[in-house]
Amino acid sequence: MKKLLVLLLALTMVFALAACGGQAAPAESAAPAPTESAEPAPAEGVTITLWTYPIGKWTDEATVKDLIADFNAVYPDITVQVEYLDYTNGDDKVNTAIEGGQAPDIVMEGPERLIANCGAKGLMVDLADIVPAGTYDSIIGSCTSANGEVYELPVCMIAHCMAINRDVFEAADALQYLNEETHTWNSVDDFFKAVQAVYDAGYPYVGTIYCGGQGGDQGTRALITNISGGTYANAEHTEYTYASQENAEGLARLYAQDGINFDTAIVASDEIQNFVNGTFQMAFCWNISQEVNNADALGFDVLPMAFPSDTTPSLQGGIWGFGVFNNGDDARIEAAKTFIQFMTSEEEYAKAVEATTFAPVRDVDGIYADNALFPEYSLLSPLMGDYYQITKGWTEARTEWWNMLQRVNDSDGSVESILAEMQAAQDTANAAAAAG
Amino acid sequence: MANKKITVSPMSRRLVMRENVAAYLFMLPFLLFFVAFVLYPMFMCIFTSFFDATMGRDDIFIGFQNYKELFNDPIFWKALKNTLVIVLVSVPVTCVFSLWVASVISRMPMAGTSAFRCIFYLPVVTGSVAVTMVWKWMFNNYYGIFNYLGQNMGLLDKPINWLGDPKYALGCIILILLTTSVGQPIVLYVSALDNVDKSLVEAAEVDGATQMQAFWKIKWPQMMPTTLYILVITTINSFQCFALIQLLTSGGPSNSTMTIMYYIYYNAFKLYRYGYGNAMGVILAIIIAILSAIQFKAGQEK
Repeated sequence: MKKLLVLLLALTMVFALAACGGQAAPAESAAPAPTESAEPAPAEGVTITLWTYPIGKWTDEATVKDLIADFNAVYPDITVQVEYLDYTNGDDKVNTAIEGGQAPDIVMEGPERLIANCGAKGLMVDLADIVPAGTYDSIIGSCTSANGEVYELPVCMIAHCMAINRDVFEAADALQYLNEETHTWNSVDDFFKAVQAVYDAGYPYVGTIYCGGQGGDQGTRALITNISGGTYANAEHTEYTYASQENAEGLARLYAQDGINFDTAIVASDEIQNFVNGTFQMAFCWNISQEVNNADALGFDVLPMAFPSDTTPSLQGGIWGFGVFNNGDDARIEAAKTFIQFMTSEEEYAKAVEATTFAPVRDVDGIYADNALFPEYSLLSPLMGDYYQITKGWTEARTEWWNMLQRVNDSDGSVESILAEMQAAQDTANAAAAAG
Repeated sequence: MANKKITVSPMSRRLVMRENVAAYLFMLPFLLFFVAFVLYPMFMCIFTSFFDATMGRDDIFIGFQNYKELFNDPIFWKALKNTLVIVLVSVPVTCVFSLWVASVISRMPMAGTSAFRCIFYLPVVTGSVAVTMVWKWMFNNYYGIFNYLGQNMGLLDKPINWLGDPKYALGCIILILLTTSVGQPIVLYVSALDNVDKSLVEAAEVDGATQMQAFWKIKWPQMMPTTLYILVITTINSFQCFALIQLLTSGGPSNSTMTIMYYIYYNAFKLYRYGYGNAMGVILAIIIAILSAIQFKAGQEK
């Protein structure tokens, strides 16, 4: 009897953890029932939840409280409860909430999560009715599903770039390989010459291909595809295309370059930290937000740069905005829409965007008037390339990418072996894309 | 002696009944908790393992398909191998090391015993995130103390990427696991050594037994229940090693630190494959149950 009891206890300890990911009822759909939009319930006297990923200062409690105070001055009967997410555990938190039927009313994030993931699973509310005609024409396509539903009202955008330690590059006489006015490299060859010059000047860690996890993978994707002139996904966003000869050659060239190291123990946040503290001389995961947030720690002049390319660089774009989860409560959905409309109104939009530290997605007067960094970084915005993050199977594609880089690090670095690893990763990603 | 028939009066029966009801009522809150948070998840884990369960759509019954896929999944086998390596290294080392430390510090004056007990127990009571982050800094490729000391003492030619090199990563995980695992066994062994019948030890010594003989023939058998408990708990903890992997390596590099527990999490929460993750949980539970049974059997025979 005692033995049986102990065995039962041992079993329960394991099952209890494993079952955390289980769905409560297999016959039930996690997607809430669609709501009637014809007769919306009054949006007042309700409490809504807003979950924000770390988008500039939208993680700063004082900043967000100030924005919500503005909202409550106009809509005192709508209470907004805020939760701040991070990119390490944010997805787990959102998924757990969805599974538990406690999804937030509003999430502030990008289309890769709101469209390609939650939207594709039927969890989001179509926001087409609150998109003003003609205001977001240039960008709304990236926030729209293949079926034409608008699952995100965009607020801001940025062209993710790389950055160099200008002081070190100047000391190593490597500034000759780039154009400081346009923030571009003279050529791919010159990028490698610059890395070699800095390495020869005594800096062993010029740049690092971080691949300890998926965080900040836009940097490594853009670096490789720009160097090689290859693509990551097709123009229709139906399948992944990165397993190509040119991409494999580009990665092989990085693999062989002195001063470029693969590090399977760090993710983008570690890379940024190592760049800021002077250990690395380049960061491949950078944007204006990094410079703003690390202003006090930076002891050198940062030069934001486009990724090296022999043609026009194609930077990985970042778009962030509001999406509304369909929690089956008309009043909360209407309140959420009211909140979004307020934050994107003429009166509040500039303030909401400045809190992101990123660029506005529509014309707005007087924004960033006192920000010295913004003009410099905005030079890179026109280089924003295809927003392929809405390709189906994005979650799998991301995990396959950094796992592929880890395997490349363990390989002999030949083009053949790199191409084989890329192909294996791409096959899995495309299988997920096909499965929807 | 003739058997006497014992008669129980109705009054006594009522008393027994009332006591039983009271006892069950006292147990009821825990039983409800046990059913809701242990038995029900356990049942759902087994149940869901037969479904293709993911977010945003109805689950699809697929029978044993998850289990079939599992046995053809090379990462699962890699994770199982890594998990077994962690268990096979950490369980004996934890037990032997804690027994050694406990036998040394239990002979010290009371203040010394308490001090060392506290020192070894500190990693247990310190938050695992804090402990792990400190280790992460120590293992850092660029400014970690291990590389700094190794290079300055001439032991290393160049820095080692401890957590980023498949050759070292699993070893580093096991090392950290050991530091967080030995605290409780040491405290338990110190208590067990204190509870050993001293008259038996003295009698053996009077009869000419050496210290080693007294330990193995007198003390060790009396500590068997403690040892058995430590073995089972350490085995289960080692099988369920998760936080370290999550915080340090995410199963990498190249799955070299992937464990079953992390692979369950990866499938369930990163790829939203709940059924597949639960199938793995069932297999892991079966393995742990078998190992625990073997340990108990061996312990009983001793």
